[in-house]
Amino acid sequence: MEQQEPGATLDDGMDSFLEKFQSQPYRGGFHESQWEEEFEKIPLFMKNSPSEIDPLENPDLACLQSIIFDEERSPEDQARTYKDEGNDYFKEKDYKKAVISYTEGLKKKCADPDLNAVLYTNRAAAQYYLGNFRSSLNDVTAARKLKPCHLKAIIRGASCHLELKNYVEAVNWCDEGLQIDATEKKLLDLRAKADKLKRTEQRDVRKAKLKEKKQQDQNEALLQAIKARNIRLVAEAAGEDEDSASEGLSELVLYGLSSENPCGARLGVDDQGRLSWPVLFLYPEYAQSDLVSAFHEDSRFIDHLMVMFGETPSWDLEQKYCPDNLEVYFEDEDRAELYCVPPSSTLLQVLQHPRYFVKALTPTFLVCVGSSGFCRNYLRGKKVHQVK
Amino acid sequence: MSETSPKAEAAKLLPFLALGERADLQAAAAQHVLALTGSGPGRTLLAGQTALLRALVELAVAPPPAPARDAARALVNLAADPGLHKPLLAAEPRLPVRLLGCALDPQWPWAEEAAAVLANLSREPVPCAALIEALAAAEPGESGLERLVRALCTPGYNARAPLHYLGPVLSNLSQRPATRAFLLDRNRCVVQRLLPLTQYPDSSVRRGGVVGTLRNCCFEHRHHEWLLGPEVDVLPFLLLPLAGPEDFSEEEMERLPVDLQYLPPDKQREPDADIRKMLIETIMLLTATAPGRKQVRDQGAYLILRELHSWEPEPDVRVTCEKLIQSAASRTCWRCRCLRRLSGSCSSRITRSGSSVSGSSRSWSWAQSHKQRELYPREAPEACQHFWAHFSSQSVQASQTRPACCPLL
Repeated sequence: MEQQEPGATLDDGMDSFLEKFQSQPYRGGFHESQWEEEFEKIPLFMKNSPSEIDPLENPDLACLQSIIFDEERSPEDQARTYKDEGNDYFKEKDYKKAVISYTEGLKKKCADPDLNAVLYTNRAAAQYYLGNFRSSLNDVTAARKLKPCHLKAIIRGASCHLELKNYVEAVNWCDEGLQIDATEKKLLDLRAKADKLKRTEQRDVRKAKLKEKKQQDQNEALLQAIKARNIRLVAEAAGEDEDSASEGLSELVLYGLSSENPCGARLGVDDQGRLSWPVLFLYPEYAQSDLVSAFHEDSRFIDHLMVMFGETPSWDLEQKYCPDNLEVYFEDEDRAELYCVPPSSTLLQVLQHPRYFVKALTPTFLVCVGSSGFCRNYLRGKKVHQVK
Repeated sequence: MSETSPKAEAAKLLPFLALGERADLQAAAAQHVLALTGSGPGRTLLAGQTALLRALVELAVAPPPAPARDAARALVNLAADPGLHKPLLAAEPRLPVRLLGCALDPQWPWAEEAAAVLANLSREPVPCAALIEALAAAEPGESGLERLVRALCTPGYNARAPLHYLGPVLSNLSQRPATRAFLLDRNRCVVQRLLPLTQYPDSSVRRGGVVGTLRNCCFEHRHHEWLLGPEVDVLPFLLLPLAGPEDFSEEEMERLPVDLQYLPPDKQREPDADIRKMLIETIMLLTATAPGRKQVRDQGAYLILRELHSWEPEPDVRVTCEKLIQSAASRTCWRCRCLRRLSGSCSSRITRSGSSVSGSSRSWSWAQSHKQRELYPREAPEACQHFWAHFSSQSVQASQTRPACCPLL
């Protein structure tokens, strides 16, 4: 408003202005239907600011912004403005934008270390809520370099260490903070929490170690039991002969002991020290197989066969697989020879046979019906021994 | 040949001890004095030599090339004798203040010796009060006690001195309610920082001092709930040195506090019997209230104590352990049960040894000889244990150059 003489002339100007509207309608008003949107566009009455300011859509707002972020102002002022902007975003929980604002403020490289420390600390807080704990930690470290006694930075740093599970570091930071203010409640709480978590973590490590040791001892015992029975083991990998270095073999064996085969069966030992093996029965005639998950070494083949073939299996088209008819063989792969196993023998007796090699800790046997044509064909051309 | 009295002989040393004297003469004179302090008569002789004592103190705090270490060691031996406290303080009333400055100075190489003198001095009430005053009058911004706790708890506080004897100093200071009030301040983190030191492997002096401090603090019944609660969680730290590599069942293990679970097979118990006894006594103090007893029971203390009892080689520690087990396993405190038993004309199983705690043959005993009853005062917790730091006084010939005080750990 240009400065006119006060008093009467103002009133005159007002009167003539008002008189205009007696003849012309006022054009600068809102439209009736969309007055709410137009209301929102006026910066003074805005409820929410738009996230991006388009100078064409909102020329007033763009104009205001260019005043605030005017390059000609001092770096400190600009940085302060960015800080305030960041704080506003932070309050609205828009942490990504807050980080950007704080970064812009830091870019100004103003000479005020306190302001920069606050910018770093605030950015660290925003990063913390975004879950970027390492970035947050970097920021508070930078803040502390500028201002070693900045308590907020120390609290934030301790929280980051806590989230990153660096419990020892968290306690150290808390202690450093408590040297500055010995009664700061947040630090006391953080310290207690970090200490408790550290001790729990130590307990978990001890527990895992003990469990591993127990497992190793068990495996060792099993290995000893196998050795004591003179059972020969062979590694699964092709090209590995039985005379390979004992460490290599026992390692493989131990690995096999700790892992399970796909059906979850493992070599086990009972209270009397007797072993139970997972045993695979193969039926070459019909390309079928059965797995006995715990074949006690003192039990006989015939006992298991009675159970397995109590009812003839579905794949037995000729219904001939009955316990009385069955013949059990094991194969000596090296020499490609078969050994016929009397069903009345126990598993241990067979496993201890000098030509029996247990592969992958799972003894395997072939079963077919002795009198059948398939069996005769299968055995033709192969050397068959009898196991006594 | 004229006979010179020992007093005159001693007085002859005085000029050589003066500050500003030739360093080699100072050193020789200091060693001579040190040898004198090794024997009772020698100390009595020195007690009368006020000027000599004052010169000794000046040397003990003087920068190199003064023989500060030998002078400090002489003071250690002198302070070990309670009869000498008065002459020492008369010779130099600011002795506690000056030694405190040395002990808490991160750069002072003989801080350990200074702390040892303070440990011996603070046994007695008068020097203890003087020391507390000295601590209170420290620089603004940080209380003297806070500095002391920090020096004790920060590894590497002084690169040249281990500062183990600050443990006994703190323990002696914790006789006073003001110290206990600071240590047990809920708005600060003080006692929590002491707790890990119960497992400090390199020094039984430090461990003993910390355990003694904790025991004295546990006389404050109204703080028991806080001490046993999650903000401090004192019980696991008291039980851990008493626990061995036991193999508990899963169920038993889950009952124990986290710090006591799945201990490795090479876990050692606290090797010092006196410290073990103090730990048990501290736990016993915590069972003085009903909620405390419940807490101690719930945290599985019984399991640890049971194993300790079967392992414990020292008879008096075993007896103390038994008492605590009975207390921890039952719902009433042992005193009440004992009284009930006596009134019911049953023979009391609780052994009441009126005699003092059997002194070990070692050169220092941690616990003062004390009748069992006095550990559990019915009234307010004012009666605290004194802390004795006895140094062996081996008689040393004057020619020996090795200092007479007990070698520090």
